[in-house]
Amino acid sequence: MTRAGQADVAAVTDDLRAFLASATRRDELLHLPPTAPLFGGAVGLDSLTGTLLLREIHRRFGVDVAGEDLNLDSLATLGTLAAFVAQRARPDGPGGPGGPHGPGTPRPPRPQGDGS
Amino acid sequence: MTGDGLVKCVVWDIDNTLLTGIYLESGEAPPGADPAMTAVLAELGSRGILHALASKNPPEAAEHTARVTGWRFAATECGWGSKSGALARIADSLGIAVDALAFVDDDPYERAEVATALPGVLVLAPEEAADAAGWPEFSPPVITAEARRRGEMYAERQRRQAAERSFGGTREEFLESAGTQVRIAAASAADVPRLAELSARTRQFNSAGAGMTQDWFRRMLAAGDRDVVTVRLRDAFGDDGVVGGCVIAREAGDAGGVGDAVGAEGGGDGGEAAAWTVPLLMMSCRAMGRGVIDALLAWLVRQAARSGAGGLRIPCPANSRNVPLRLALAAAGFRAPETGAAYQRDPGTPPPGLPRWVSAPGEPGGSAA
Repeated sequence: MTRAGQADVAAVTDDLRAFLASATRRDELLHLPPTAPLFGGAVGLDSLTGTLLLREIHRRFGVDVAGEDLNLDSLATLGTLAAFVAQRARPDGPGGPGGPHGPGTPRPPRPQGDGS
Repeated sequence: MTGDGLVKCVVWDIDNTLLTGIYLESGEAPPGADPAMTAVLAELGSRGILHALASKNPPEAAEHTARVTGWRFAATECGWGSKSGALARIADSLGIAVDALAFVDDDPYERAEVATALPGVLVLAPEEAADAAGWPEFSPPVITAEARRRGEMYAERQRRQAAERSFGGTREEFLESAGTQVRIAAASAADVPRLAELSARTRQFNSAGAGMTQDWFRRMLAAGDRDVVTVRLRDAFGDDGVVGGCVIAREAGDAGGVGDAVGAEGGGDGGEAAAWTVPLLMMSCRAMGRGVIDALLAWLVRQAARSGAGGLRIPCPANSRNVPLRLALAAAGFRAPETGAAYQRDPGTPPPGLPRWVSAPGEPGGSAA
């Protein structure tokens, strides 16, 4: 049974695949299996793509992965990340039409630089 | 304001602020530059502070302003939206915190709008800005060669990003095609001001979560069991200078050091060899996405292995700002065994490779010191 507020793992997985393929400009990631590691391997997540991915997850699903999982263990594979996000997702996310940051309100703060 | 309270970018209104009149009401002869404000632009620019424009004018007004002030602005926002929205987009495009902005506008309504929407921004009327050079918010403690070139480097960054957007391949292929060069080297006394500045300004990539003084870096340089390392970055678009660095703490008596390069292979199999600890690892966020932090971490792992160190520990307590560094550590195979513990790599995993555009002590083509 799916509790209200949870998101479908398969749908989250598809969203993450689409984002990774777009951020890395590698279309083959659209077919990434859930067991694929995010660090190293085909994805090769680094600090930049990882930061963009976590920002997108926060925007779409309202989940602060780095805040709730300090050691980032949830980023082991595509499947572990999708399950982590789906478990914690809020309906529509903060950036969705029904969320508190829907159209007309500012988006949540992005990770800020330091201009050094 | 940011932790240190320093302003990193001033966002300027155009009409009756940088110009002596109103652009659209001046007909054939648009107004000239305000000499007092032009002097402030130059003085703050020489301290490494960026300048940007936010105007409810057509883009031609920004071009005119750049021409008559002789200043190259790091970002420009022209349009009818709110000034607070323009400031947020400028901070975003420059990769700096909104709280590191100052805003100068002659219109009290605009100042109130920004002050209400973005309470961290330092909001000034033009007559206040004339005195700004004497304020601590505009007075960085050290001004390095990198700081003086900061405005130019942001312009180079805009050209690099435009080229990357139109580039067909992956990011790695773009870095290669752009002639990226990362140079890791032992620091000298001349590097101390820049290292201290980097440690004070970095938040996203600062393992200690704090700035260090020049005295601290001098003590590290003088200590026999500490290595201080700089990382320089350049490519076809420009030279970013020193964008990162780290300090390595070796146990006293361990022969291996950065300057010892390839030959240092002492005591790798004894089991009692001491681990290296990295009390500070830092990188400018401007270098993000250009392979620098990955190169530095890979080299640290390789150098520790070559020197026979009994492991490599990088303390990096989690906070909301250092997510990018934690991601970089995880990408390099580091994990914190428990929350708050130092990051370490599984000793069973082989050291990572280094791209050939990285030169470093102990590596083929690298310098020994």
